[in-house]
Amino acid sequence: MIGIKNDKKMGREAILKSVKQNKPELLQLPDINEASFEEDINLLETFKNNLKVVGGFVKEIDKKSIDTEIKVLHSNKTNIVSTTKKSALGTITIDKNTEPHTLENIDLAILEAELGVSENGAVWVTASNSIVRVLPFITNDLVIILKKENICLHMLKAYDQIAERHRDFGVFVSGPSKTADIEQCLVVGAHGAMSLAVLLI
Amino acid sequence: MSHATKAAEFNKDEAKVNWHDKALWYVREKRDKSAHNVQGWEYLRQLGSNIKANVLSNLDEYLVQFEANAKNNGVHVHWASNAEEHNNIINDILSKHNAKKVVKSKSMLTEECHLNPFLESKGIEVVDTDLGERIVQLAQEPPSHIVLPAIHKTKEDVDELFQEHLGTKPSQGNPEYLVGEARKHLRDKFLNADVAITGVNFAVADTGGVVVCTNEGNADMGVHLAKAHIACMGIEKIIPQEKHLGVFLRLLARSATGQPITTYSSHFNKPEDGKEMHIVIVDNGRTEQLSREDFRASLHCIRCGACMNTCPIYRRSGGHSYDYTIPGPIGSILSPGKDLKKHSSLPFASTLCGSCSNVCPVKINIHEQLYKWRQVIVKEQKQPVVKKSILKTAGVVLSKPGLYRAAGKTARFMLKNAPRFMIYNKLNAWGKARDLPEVKGQNFDDWYKKRQKNG
Ligand code: SF4
Repeated sequence: MIGIKNDKKMGREAILKSVKQNKPELLQLPDINEASFEEDINLLETFKNNLKVVGGFVKEIDKKSIDTEIKVLHSNKTNIVSTTKKSALGTITIDKNTEPHTLENIDLAILEAELGVSENGAVWVTASNSIVRVLPFITNDLVIILKKENICLHMLKAYDQIAERHRDFGVFVSGPSKTADIEQCLVVGAHGAMSLAVLLI
Repeated sequence: MSHATKAAEFNKDEAKVNWHDKALWYVREKRDKSAHNVQGWEYLRQLGSNIKANVLSNLDEYLVQFEANAKNNGVHVHWASNAEEHNNIINDILSKHNAKKVVKSKSMLTEECHLNPFLESKGIEVVDTDLGERIVQLAQEPPSHIVLPAIHKTKEDVDELFQEHLGTKPSQGNPEYLVGEARKHLRDKFLNADVAITGVNFAVADTGGVVVCTNEGNADMGVHLAKAHIACMGIEKIIPQEKHLGVFLRLLARSATGQPITTYSSHFNKPEDGKEMHIVIVDNGRTEQLSREDFRASLHCIRCGACMNTCPIYRRSGGHSYDYTIPGPIGSILSPGKDLKKHSSLPFASTLCGSCSNVCPVKINIHEQLYKWRQVIVKEQKQPVVKKSILKTAGVVLSKPGLYRAAGKTARFMLKNAPRFMIYNKLNAWGKARDLPEVKGQNFDDWYKKRQKNG
């Protein structure tokens, strides 16, 4: 291991030295004028449209009917994990120490997201929303609950909103997993969740 | 072998070439629609370009800042001057974990470093998990496009490959069936992998985190199941602040495929409890490119592939004809910096129509750099090499009648604007075969200068 450390140091110093020698004179970091991106649009409707475009299902529902709605969408699932108090449909409980591989056969995961982005239908899901990071990816189907008032216009605003978070892992999820790698035919359901439903409360 | 010779090879199957051409043009059109939906798109591109210019001018500081922040988060940071060091660092990490099975998500850098054959020679199984990459891996080919690695394969090709390697049933290339089988096959690989390797789309100096974008979810399936995550990045992946992701994530997917954002944009800052995260920062010729004033802006590239989709030569010659990890217009300005002699035909694999520069989300002056490389090559290379290369590509690729419908405008544009010596060169297959019409209007140099002025 000592050998490795030496190499590491050499690589580091050589690279930094070479950058220093070869970089151009300092160019200013531009200010971002967010006014250029302002748009007077209906955030909720745009979010819904964009989520549909990327293959997601979206519905505005009453807070009290969350479980009823999920049961309509996913009538015969057995292995369900819910990481939010807003749904009582979970059949399997997980905690931080749950071995991720044991989630292999999860049919449905129900999570809460903190933020939605109107310009692309994405929702922001953190490690604490998922409890085990692999959950929203390994589950067959994914339901995400989002408060309508937490939808922002675009990604710059989204980063403002999550600026103060505890940074461990977080992901913007826009629709179900998909691929077009076979002759450009879009197929939904690659390695991540086969479906995504966002329930807006 | 020159680009022209390889392009001629690709052109033997005309139906396939026509499909390739149209499929990529369709992606380009999706990009246009998507871009037009964004308020302030041109300003966004300008910001992307200016932020990247600042990054290059302060790169050493940002790298040090990035390293310090990543280390604070419990991430191991390694530095590699070249491909060999990169591969050895990864091998050492794998040995430490006694890892025999590795899953890898898309990373052009590990392609550039030829990591797979290196690890395989050490008895390690490396599985590319992006579907397109898995397809080309099974076919024992390199990717032909940086975003659509298997764009040169038909669904029937994939059907046959899967029958042979995954034991699937003949399906006449049914994409849903094939994707479903690939999902099962790769799920097994994810569940049994020891270590996951990913590329990096953006590395944020002020947080020490890295962002990886995929549509399939393969990076996350790999990372969150394996014991350790190794993320490999070129030094130019740095961006100063997290809020700049708000600029680049708006640009990237729209430019690449016309999607408003990739399905997953994953932000890795700290390893999950009980796991390890490593970042390997790689030079491998990048600081040398940084030293070349005329060409350094090529390091702005965010690998969206838009310049490939729009390029009439790329669309009609296929990614493999470039014989370089990064094909297309951007590959043609990066590769001569790596090996001028080997890649001297690539800057000629262009009509200089400027379409690449027009779509580039970070406003790299790609076609101007192509022209500048030509000047360098004309000066530094022996004449026969140059003569053989000049416009031969365009000759081969553009000589098919089908193309005149598809890219007639470009061909005519070239006639009008290419320097006379290129068109009337005796060795130019294209000029020889055709009776060239008189072209009126500005000559190339005037046009070029004017274009440069107008930026
Ligand atoms: S050069 Fe520009 S258009 Fe081409 S891949 Fe890079 S960022 Fe995209």
